[in-house]
Amino acid sequence: MLLFLAPSVILLVLINAYPLAVAASQSVHKGSLIIGGSFVGLENYTDALTRPAFWNAARFTLVFTLAGVFGSWLVGLCLALLLRARVPAGGFFKVILILPWVVPIVVSSTAWNWLVATPDSPASRLAQSLGFGEPLFLADPKLAVITVCAFKIWHSFPFMFLMTSAALSSVDRNLYEAADIDGATRWQTFTRITLPMISRSTYISWILMTIFCVNDFPTIFLMTGGGPVNATTSLVVLAYRTVFQDFQTGPGVAIAFLMTITLVVTSTILYRQVRKAVTA
Amino acid sequence: MTTVGHRPPIATLASDAPSNRWMRPASRRTRDTRGQWGRFAAILIFTVLALIPIYVTLLLSVQPGTFSTSSSVLTLEHFADIFTNTDIVTWLGNSLGVTLTTVLISVIVAAPAGYVLSRARSRAVSAYSLLLFVIQSLPIITAVVPLFVLFAKLGLVDNLIGIIIVYLGSTMSVATWIMAAYFDSIPRALEESAWMDGCSVFGSFVRIVLRNSLPGVLSTAIFAFLLAWNDYLVALVFLKSSNVFTLPVGVQGFFLQNATDWGPVMAASVVMLLPPTIVFAVLNRYFSVGGIGGSLAGH
Repeated sequence: MLLFLAPSVILLVLINAYPLAVAASQSVHKGSLIIGGSFVGLENYTDALTRPAFWNAARFTLVFTLAGVFGSWLVGLCLALLLRARVPAGGFFKVILILPWVVPIVVSSTAWNWLVATPDSPASRLAQSLGFGEPLFLADPKLAVITVCAFKIWHSFPFMFLMTSAALSSVDRNLYEAADIDGATRWQTFTRITLPMISRSTYISWILMTIFCVNDFPTIFLMTGGGPVNATTSLVVLAYRTVFQDFQTGPGVAIAFLMTITLVVTSTILYRQVRKAVTA
Repeated sequence: MTTVGHRPPIATLASDAPSNRWMRPASRRTRDTRGQWGRFAAILIFTVLALIPIYVTLLLSVQPGTFSTSSSVLTLEHFADIFTNTDIVTWLGNSLGVTLTTVLISVIVAAPAGYVLSRARSRAVSAYSLLLFVIQSLPIITAVVPLFVLFAKLGLVDNLIGIIIVYLGSTMSVATWIMAAYFDSIPRALEESAWMDGCSVFGSFVRIVLRNSLPGVLSTAIFAFLLAWNDYLVALVFLKSSNVFTLPVGVQGFFLQNATDWGPVMAASVVMLLPPTIVFAVLNRYFSVGGIGGSLAGH
């Protein structure tokens, strides 16, 4: 039966493990994309860690990830709770609400750009008429961060909605009947029954979304290109630029690795939490 | 929660006795109906707002441009424009070819692997499951740089086969989990009876298990379709010339050149968003990401 795993293992070794090993070696060597250089030890790492751009990008990645994970989770959870009960045309909504996740980022980022990019865009005009002055959604560093996070939440909430809906549908209805009879309030039912019963799925959706957010490239790159003044440069965008625009392979790969290590540690901690939630 | 759980008799009574429905006070039923329309209104408002970027795309793609000669309200001139003046037909063909190949190979490789994950109970297999998880969390950028160097030597840069290989690497983990989650729901007794009848493990897998797993296979296929169709980073790094561009890089390049001419830009967007939307609209009932949770934490 282990033969069944063979194609998958071969692919994994060739496409995932081999490049990882090469990347590890690149990160401790000088040199460009094509020509290998001399061994420099951890110099690329110390180089990356002493760049202000690195810490700037790390801070933005953290903000972007927290906003992306919890923002999309809250929206997805509310929708899943609303649509769990009987709602007219519920089935239709369940399909159409997935669209933001299905539409390619290249397309949705263009539409968002049309909506917010210039002072003449509809969203900017709306904000002006509501008396918010002249907001530059993509040109003001702080607003650009908020806009990119909002775009990420908009793109990701359907995934959270699907995960949460699946989890909610597996909660035993009898528990709610029993809680009703015991006189539990709606809030008590939610915090004492619903949330604990779906906690496993919640942790998993957080882990996956953390991975999706940290590794996200197109959402940021297509909306702002990392600007204005690097306010929305995440670690992936920084690594991409360092390798493919500044042609500094070593430091670029070192940045990607530092990010990977943080991500693997974070998701392993969360993964253990899941196992605890399962056995508890 | 445990105190609640200890009262099954009452719960059963309440849910099983149909007479209870008629004994409900009338006020409660009207409250239910009102709640139903309240939820409907909330969801409707949210949906209308959330889908604004999508109507905008559709609307601008059929609205006549500023210098348009057509006098009607709706026009297909932008579509005619992009089909005659850009390589969009080539890009569309490339995207379809790359995506369908990725889908096919992903299913062929992930299905047997998922079967092992679902059925085997050995340490090696759970280690493999954890390995898939770690692989999934690696940023594609760490793999892209070494693969670029390797592919440059093998002539796979600026080549559609190259990006198919990278896509296969990125679909593998989730595709395997989705398949494993689905196989978990198929009773073992089915294969076991086939073995009794002298069927090989492989034979029973293909004829019994796989044949009953259409939703799982379609779920995996949709996932791989969306990933390959929507990818931007890999295509951006590996594809350099217009005749091998997939839609995301081709269309994005076209956007950058025509930043203010929104009609053709949105028409190209529509061409790009239709295939995944159609696939999802037709097959959505088979698509479930919820199962991933089970296969990730279940073993």
